[in-house]
Amino acid sequence: MQTVLNLLEAEPIRLLLSFALILFLVLNLAGILTFAERKVAAYIQLRYGPNRVGPRGFLQPAADVVKLFTKENVMPHRADMWIFLGAPIAMFLPAAAVWLVVPFAPRSVVADLNVGVVFFIALTSIGALGLIMAGYGSRSTFSLLGAMRGAAQMISYEVPLILSLLGVIMLSGSLSFQDVVNSQSGGFWHWYFLPQLPMFITFYIAGVAEARRVPFDLPEGESEIVGGFMVEYSGMTWGLIQASEFASMALVSAITATLFLGGWQPPFEFLDLGNFNWLWFAIKTALIIFTFQWIRWSLPRLRMDQLMDFGWKILVPVCLIWLFVTAGAMLLLPSVF
Amino acid sequence: MAVTLPEGNLETRLSRYLDGFNGRHGIEDSSVEGNLVLVVVKPGDLPAVLTTARETLGILHLSFITVVDRRGSFELTYELLDLRGAQVRVKTTIEGEEPVIGSVTGIYPTANWHEREAYDMFGVAFKGHPDLRRLYMWQDHFDHHPLLKSFEISTRRTFEGLR
Amino acid sequence: MLGEERRTEGTALTQPASGRLASPDIRDEFGLETIDMNMGPQHPAMHGLLRLILELDGETVVRCDPVMGYLHRSKEKISENRMYPAVIPITDRIDYMNNMAMEYGYCLAVEKLLDVEIPPRADAIRALMNEFSRIMSHIPSLGFLLLELGAFTPILYAFRERERIQSIMEEVTGARMMFHYIRLGGVKADLPEGMPEKMWEYIEGLESRLQPDFIDLIEGNEIFIARTRGVGKITPEKAVEMGLTGVPLRCTGVEFDVRKHYPYGWYENLDFDVVTDQAGDVEASYRCRIGEVRQSIRMIKQILQSLPEGEVMGDMGRRIRPTEGDGIGRVESARGEYAVHVVSDGSDTPYRVHYRTPCTVNMQLLQEIVPGHYLPDIMPIMGLIDPVSGAWDK
Repeated sequence: MQTVLNLLEAEPIRLLLSFALILFLVLNLAGILTFAERKVAAYIQLRYGPNRVGPRGFLQPAADVVKLFTKENVMPHRADMWIFLGAPIAMFLPAAAVWLVVPFAPRSVVADLNVGVVFFIALTSIGALGLIMAGYGSRSTFSLLGAMRGAAQMISYEVPLILSLLGVIMLSGSLSFQDVVNSQSGGFWHWYFLPQLPMFITFYIAGVAEARRVPFDLPEGESEIVGGFMVEYSGMTWGLIQASEFASMALVSAITATLFLGGWQPPFEFLDLGNFNWLWFAIKTALIIFTFQWIRWSLPRLRMDQLMDFGWKILVPVCLIWLFVTAGAMLLLPSVF
Repeated sequence: MAVTLPEGNLETRLSRYLDGFNGRHGIEDSSVEGNLVLVVVKPGDLPAVLTTARETLGILHLSFITVVDRRGSFELTYELLDLRGAQVRVKTTIEGEEPVIGSVTGIYPTANWHEREAYDMFGVAFKGHPDLRRLYMWQDHFDHHPLLKSFEISTRRTFEGLR
Repeated sequence: MLGEERRTEGTALTQPASGRLASPDIRDEFGLETIDMNMGPQHPAMHGLLRLILELDGETVVRCDPVMGYLHRSKEKISENRMYPAVIPITDRIDYMNNMAMEYGYCLAVEKLLDVEIPPRADAIRALMNEFSRIMSHIPSLGFLLLELGAFTPILYAFRERERIQSIMEEVTGARMMFHYIRLGGVKADLPEGMPEKMWEYIEGLESRLQPDFIDLIEGNEIFIARTRGVGKITPEKAVEMGLTGVPLRCTGVEFDVRKHYPYGWYENLDFDVVTDQAGDVEASYRCRIGEVRQSIRMIKQILQSLPEGEVMGDMGRRIRPTEGDGIGRVESARGEYAVHVVSDGSDTPYRVHYRTPCTVNMQLLQEIVPGHYLPDIMPIMGLIDPVSGAWDK
């Protein structure tokens, strides 16, 4: 037994195994989140939601997956095949890979990179590439417009996203997620969302934009460009795009919880669950996901120019100002930090 | 409000409209009935009469244009409203199988699609219309004007030439 | 087909509004090209089957050309080949969101030719059902507007109200959608036992639900304001010039309502205001629609308080043969002035029936005001006009 465990601890096997586990988790997460999304929508819209497959509809995601796998994958005649088929993978893999650096519990992190935050930023930027591939490869005006919007939006909102992380990095003095979480220990008043409130809000909004959720779901823009970059996809390629969207939503929530809400840290010290602290992490992430869904089902969508205005004229200046405030406070009151 | 709507007594307005038409044009027939001023004109005078209605009398709204196929002639009804209770109905009759009449889009821009519809359904050509295309029917390979009395409902003939 | 239409010169009316477009110099210098885009006829936001041929400069619309006829069912030709009473179910299917007004217009037109006395109770019931039908159309149209802006929830609240009214309508008329209730000379049947109380109860409930379910959900929302304020701006001159009627005209500040200024039936006895707004944009049209729902509630209450007793069907005889001549029935439908022109030659069937549907006329606005707006602004502008596929295509 011990030898097996030791073998599993050995480096290449451990990484491969945990990566497989993460992939499994993310794919399942997408299924669970579709179900959650539909139930939350139903709750907001005063209806039942899926309740026919399995007890209370719990098996609905499984039925969806079976349906998607058995569906024909239709490709436009003049589409660029490799780009068209590569796009869903290019969207899904970065969203899945970032989970490698997310700390779930005190010692549960697949790869405790000392540049974890940079890794996160780098990989989420790659997501835009998949989106452009999908829009360009489909060879449709609607897709192209969606891809154009997507590229513009993801690149613009990358800036406030990165800027809002800087405050946390300054305070904790590390780029590793594990260190950031450790430096927030000791009750919820030590979490970074309090000293970094404007940054927290900015990160949250930019995260919604990165996850392409309402009110920033312009690349999809259901009512005007009917799905945008993914209008030509069907079957499992479409399913993979959906999975990557849900994975990136969960990812943004998890990162928000890690950086600003103390990760797996309990809100009060006497609630420390030891190795089971991942429960705190799960609860925080789930709460943030719920707020995402809440927003999704109650707000209309912005327009492209308003989106750009909001990003560049409000979020970026707020970040810059608070960055200077943080730096000044650290310089003038070194005893507090 | 920038738009001036007519005011005052309905009766005086109706008689003002009637006098306005009679004083300026050779009207074939005219009468007042209830809140309706009925004017019958020659097809050539129609744009001029509607110009009087719009410019001089200030009747703002063209409600609709009805074409009636009288088998050999076409009867056109232009229904105008002054938006305050009075109706003005201008009627004209065009003889012949290939009717042509002056367009009123320059006077009432709203007539644009009304005239396109009349052209589509009856083949009435409106001289001076900026964009006389069919409104409802197929743009190509369809030579019929379906509301003509000579057009019988028959699937095979309707779809001839269309795939 | 697309290429051929491109060659057609734009009309003098469709000059793109300047301002947001790249100037021709810049376009030439950088070799910028416009994209042709075919929106519809199968498109979720096109209110049915409408095809818009768009020319886009980036996201800005340079040219918009609506192509209609995808739901053309030859209502006018069919009406010529049916006996007078048998046309009523045909009119039901013109504007399927607001069927009662469609029936009412046709019946008014034929009754002008028939010279028949309508019993007062029938007149009152007609007006009552018309106002219910208007609420049934206005509330979902608010939902559609929000749906097209990306908010999914309000439409479900709106359809909940529509369903409740449909249940009332079903009890009165026997159908949920295609009522065939207003007949020549009166209405099909009297209100069932206990119906006025039921209607009163529903109307009270709607009045109390209007604020929390719709106004609170929609009105103060920053994104809603950003997407609708100043979008689709129409001046009153332009509105009158384009022949607009209904909410698109009234939201510019021109006070015109067929019920008020060309009164018909029971509306002469009712006390109500014409709801206008000064802004003339999408937000103003939303406020107008909410105001009209309130006015409809007010009218329904008045009618229910003073519902006359008596017969609901005039003396029509078995065979309906109107005298020769023109009959024009004009009513205010939920979308504007709806007029039916019936030409009779003294036989059993109408010689010619012309339907003036407000949607067809109001839709001319699209090629006028869409150029210069962004692509996503087309949807709120559609919500401003609120067309119905069956009504513009006849």
